[in-house]
Amino acid sequence: MANFEVFLGLLPLLLKGALTALEIALCTLLLASAGGVVLAVLLTFSRSRVLHGVIGCFIEWMRNVPALAHLFLIYFGLSYLGINLPAWLAAIVGLSLVGSAVLADIFRSGLQSLHVGQHEAGLAVGLSRMQILHCILLPQALRVTLPAFANYVTQLVKDTSIASAIAVPEIMFLARNLVTSTFQTSLIYLAVMCIYAAMILPIGVGFIRLERHFGSAR
Amino acid sequence: MISFFQQYPVYWSDWIARLLLGARITAELSLMGFALAVVLGALLVCAMRSPSVILKRLATFFIQSMRAVPLLALLLALYFALPSLGLTLSGYWAGAIGLGLQGAAYVAEILRGGLDSLHRGQREAAIAIGLTPLKAFTTVILPQAIRGMLPPLLNAYVSILKDSSLCALIATDELMLAARAIASETFLPMHVFLLVGLFYFVIAFPLSMLSRVLEKHFSRGRKTVRG
Repeated sequence: MANFEVFLGLLPLLLKGALTALEIALCTLLLASAGGVVLAVLLTFSRSRVLHGVIGCFIEWMRNVPALAHLFLIYFGLSYLGINLPAWLAAIVGLSLVGSAVLADIFRSGLQSLHVGQHEAGLAVGLSRMQILHCILLPQALRVTLPAFANYVTQLVKDTSIASAIAVPEIMFLARNLVTSTFQTSLIYLAVMCIYAAMILPIGVGFIRLERHFGSAR
Repeated sequence: MISFFQQYPVYWSDWIARLLLGARITAELSLMGFALAVVLGALLVCAMRSPSVILKRLATFFIQSMRAVPLLALLLALYFALPSLGLTLSGYWAGAIGLGLQGAAYVAEILRGGLDSLHRGQREAAIAIGLTPLKAFTTVILPQAIRGMLPPLLNAYVSILKDSSLCALIATDELMLAARAIASETFLPMHVFLLVGLFYFVIAFPLSMLSRVLEKHFSRGRKTVRG
């Protein structure tokens, strides 16, 4: 039981790490969503072959190389070139780049699933292209892509654990440090898993609610 | 820019040998993880379709918990926490098992989705013409269901391949660990991690493309059948 009391003393630190993880996930989500929407819109509406080629290469590179390699490239690689990012910023930048590639694919398939008539009807009632995108196409596309988006968000929260590899003081990193200092290995890792589950399961439930809400609206 | 690339010829033979060695371990790890994921995934589907409520609950619980926990946490737990319970795994085996356990949850969903996509009339018709349930499954259901499963299974392999890079953090001698060792010896992180990214890309990209091509191919087949 003495072990357990030691462990209870560690819990606040772990929870603080969980908060850091959520902060990183939130910043990444905002950046990646913005990036994903821009890329998806460009891919759907631009006619430029060069632009398609460049965006295609970016998406394939980001999607087929492990996130860990991206983080190492940004954290260690950029500092070699003289750009020293703090670890948390490197993690956010790396995860956002990967995320915008993943979300670009998701949003693009959402946009392309819409009928051409949506766009034409928008033009017919005199909306500008930005207005059509903003008021007609994107809201519908986002609704279609909600399940895939939900998957991405849960994956993202889990992927923040990779940031521990570049010493971002999030929950996984703190847990590894605590293990080496207290030797409460199984208790700490069990607690970490439970904390992750407690962060991720509500997200899943929330998205299912959201899907139902939109489903009934349709 | 040019001076950046001039570093490569200097170290080329040393790096390539070590990275190829790492790539072999990465390939082994990811293939073993994938095989384990497919076997476990199939068992999970069987459990979910069995009449036993307990089995169903257990399978669902397993899948949910695997999806709620990061792979890295699972790997660290397998590698560092299991020994205190009396089971010591090498980094290599902890990695393969961790990849397999987490992959199984995803593979189970793919297999289930593939089976559910078929109309139940297929099975009923097969039984009606006198096939045994097993024969109906192997000759009628599976060949059709597998078309839908193949593309997402390929994607699942690609994700296991990428995730295997995390095994570097539990001291498995795979591609990423080899890269990290080289980077810290030579102080050329940008060069090494770009190269190692290319290694992963060269394996993963063709598979991703194949998955996309297969998906298009199979969905085109379906349309013509519908007429």
